[in-house]
Amino acid sequence: MPVKKEKEPLIMHPRPSSIVAALYTLRDLDTDVVILHGPPGCSFKHARLLEEDGMRVVTTSLDETGFVFGGHDALVEVLEKVIERFNPRRIGIVGTCASMIIGEELHEAVTQVQPDVPVIEVDVHAGYRDNTKGVVMALESALASGIISEAEFERQKALLKEATLVEKRHGAASKEYLEPNRGDLKYKVAERLLELIKQGKKGLNILNAKKETAFMFADINLAVAQVAQKLGYGSNIVNMVNLDDNVGLPKNRRNAREIKDDLKEKGFEIHHIIGGLDEYPVAGNTADKIIGEKYSDYDFAVISGVPHALPMNNIKNMELFSVTNGPRQVIPLKEMGHTHVVVEIDLHPKTLGVSHIVESEFGATLREMVKDA
Amino acid sequence: MPKQIAIYGKGGIGKSSTASNVAAACADEGYRVTIIGCDPKSDSSITLLQGRRIPTIMDLMREGIDIKEEDIVFKGYKGVKCLEIGGPEPGIGCAGRGIIVAISLLKKISRAIEDTDLVIYDVPGDIVCGGFVAPVKKGLVNEAYVLTSGEYMPLYAANNICKGLSRLEMTLNGVICNSRGALNEEKIVSEFAKEVGSQLLAFIPKDVLVQTCERDGYSVIEKAPDSQIAAVYRKLAKSIMGKREGKIPVPLDDSRLRELTRI
Ligand SMILES: Nc1ncnc2c1ncn2[C@@H]1O[C@H](COP(=O)(O)OP(=O)(O)OP(=O)(O)O)[C@@H](O)[C@H]1O
Ligand code: SF4
Ligand SMILES: [Mg+2]
Repeated sequence: MPVKKEKEPLIMHPRPSSIVAALYTLRDLDTDVVILHGPPGCSFKHARLLEEDGMRVVTTSLDETGFVFGGHDALVEVLEKVIERFNPRRIGIVGTCASMIIGEELHEAVTQVQPDVPVIEVDVHAGYRDNTKGVVMALESALASGIISEAEFERQKALLKEATLVEKRHGAASKEYLEPNRGDLKYKVAERLLELIKQGKKGLNILNAKKETAFMFADINLAVAQVAQKLGYGSNIVNMVNLDDNVGLPKNRRNAREIKDDLKEKGFEIHHIIGGLDEYPVAGNTADKIIGEKYSDYDFAVISGVPHALPMNNIKNMELFSVTNGPRQVIPLKEMGHTHVVVEIDLHPKTLGVSHIVESEFGATLREMVKDA
Repeated sequence: MPKQIAIYGKGGIGKSSTASNVAAACADEGYRVTIIGCDPKSDSSITLLQGRRIPTIMDLMREGIDIKEEDIVFKGYKGVKCLEIGGPEPGIGCAGRGIIVAISLLKKISRAIEDTDLVIYDVPGDIVCGGFVAPVKKGLVNEAYVLTSGEYMPLYAANNICKGLSRLEMTLNGVICNSRGALNEEKIVSEFAKEVGSQLLAFIPKDVLVQTCERDGYSVIEKAPDSQIAAVYRKLAKSIMGKREGKIPVPLDDSRLRELTRI
């Protein structure tokens, strides 16, 4: 008997796109140029941002005529031009809804042009429920062209599965509709946090950020450590970060190293490494275990990055300060029991193309408030 | 690797009848056969299933079923595996995308297209969009056949198909004449086949038996095994299963095509 899949509940708010997810994955794989095979405006904002990270994104600019007559010739032309203009060492070709619906075969253009550098083809469109699908598809293709190992592929796949679950449980996919929210006033939250520190309360300072967003989220943890130090309570703070630089794709390792070096230079002591930059869906579990063993009697916790990936088990009795970059993450976090939720608006764009920690608003607020202490 | 064939030709020329009779004849010979209907009207396998209609891949997808091989592969006459891709209702959605989705699904879940000796893709007469060439483009078809009568319009369609095949760099492995009783028909189609760089594999006479068996839900191979036309299908089946090199066809220009139908 055919078995019906459980009908997935409707989600109405717009969510991250699988096409964009594929683009970011290609960047992590050190792809030099990506050709988006589709309409000129597709994924425009992210295509632009990715250039900050040094990856070129170009489009075949399919128009009405392309939709009707197919875009093979356009793809061949753009591929040839890309090779000539950018002399890339690694090329990506990414599908879009438009080209996939009309049945474009990305591989045909590659066969025709025969570039002498590897080409990662991703037959993706934006119609998948979970944007992680775009990541998996890009990785599958990278695996097929021998760019990543089977072991790394399996590792990534397992992480993505967890990431999808994290979003379903308490994230962007947890409700039919999530109202965006600007979070609590940074000044008020900072005031309360400083009050606790001054009272000599013990606090956990946790960075659990997704990939390059750590460049700014780390600034919050850095600021917390700095202000505690300045107030004479530095030893009450325990720092945990997902900055393992021995795991993940080359870019993620590189970034972990850069952030760690920066932190070290600024006198930040890392007490626990809870995982790598791509391990944010599971690093929370490692943190949870450590907290259970050593710090379950702590008074407060600051969690920046993906706070909703941290299990509530051992922190539910603490006063929680979480910092996110998703306005739609505020309500789920409050519902989980996070007392204070701060949103760093537009964080991601500021973390592209950087190799040092970037100042955050919340971090700046904290520092400003103890300036004269 | 199984022989994977597709039969092309003008709408209504007899592709589905030919496909199911060839499938049945090959099954009689002991071959393991799979027939995949790529037409939204899903009429490719009815005559192998005693007139029964099977759920199509698209039906199941629409209902949100977690599709497994056993949900879509149905055993027909002498174990022929029958699959229908199906599609949306006429005038709604995108049937071409349906074929693409179904073909990628098939590649993932079905052994029916691997553990077999012959796979026949029965495609609709009009390759209206990219989706309908997905079986060829996704590398699931390695031999193409063209079915035509000796009349001008079916030959015109056949010639267009040759154009399409040469564009896809796909070989043509034979031309089949399904007679509509035109004058000098066998000669015309045979000449056409030669000129596009192929050969005439069979001349199937027009026989009302095909239609009466079809009406009852059978192939002539099953319902009228001793008929003359059953023998023709058997011979064609043998010829298809035999080894033969295909060639990328060279389409004719229209004036030559017109000339040809005047002989
Ligand atoms: N050799 C034949 N003698 C008599 N009738 C035939 C013969 N071949 C096919 N037919 C009849 O012609 C009609 C159309 O055939 P069929 O459905 O196989 O065509 P088709 O090419 O598959 O059409 P479509 O393009 O719509 O899929 C059917 O009723 C069939 O029984
Ligand atoms: S609908 Fe799809 S193809 Fe069109 S712009 Fe949006 S993501 Fe791109
Ligand atoms: Mg048919």
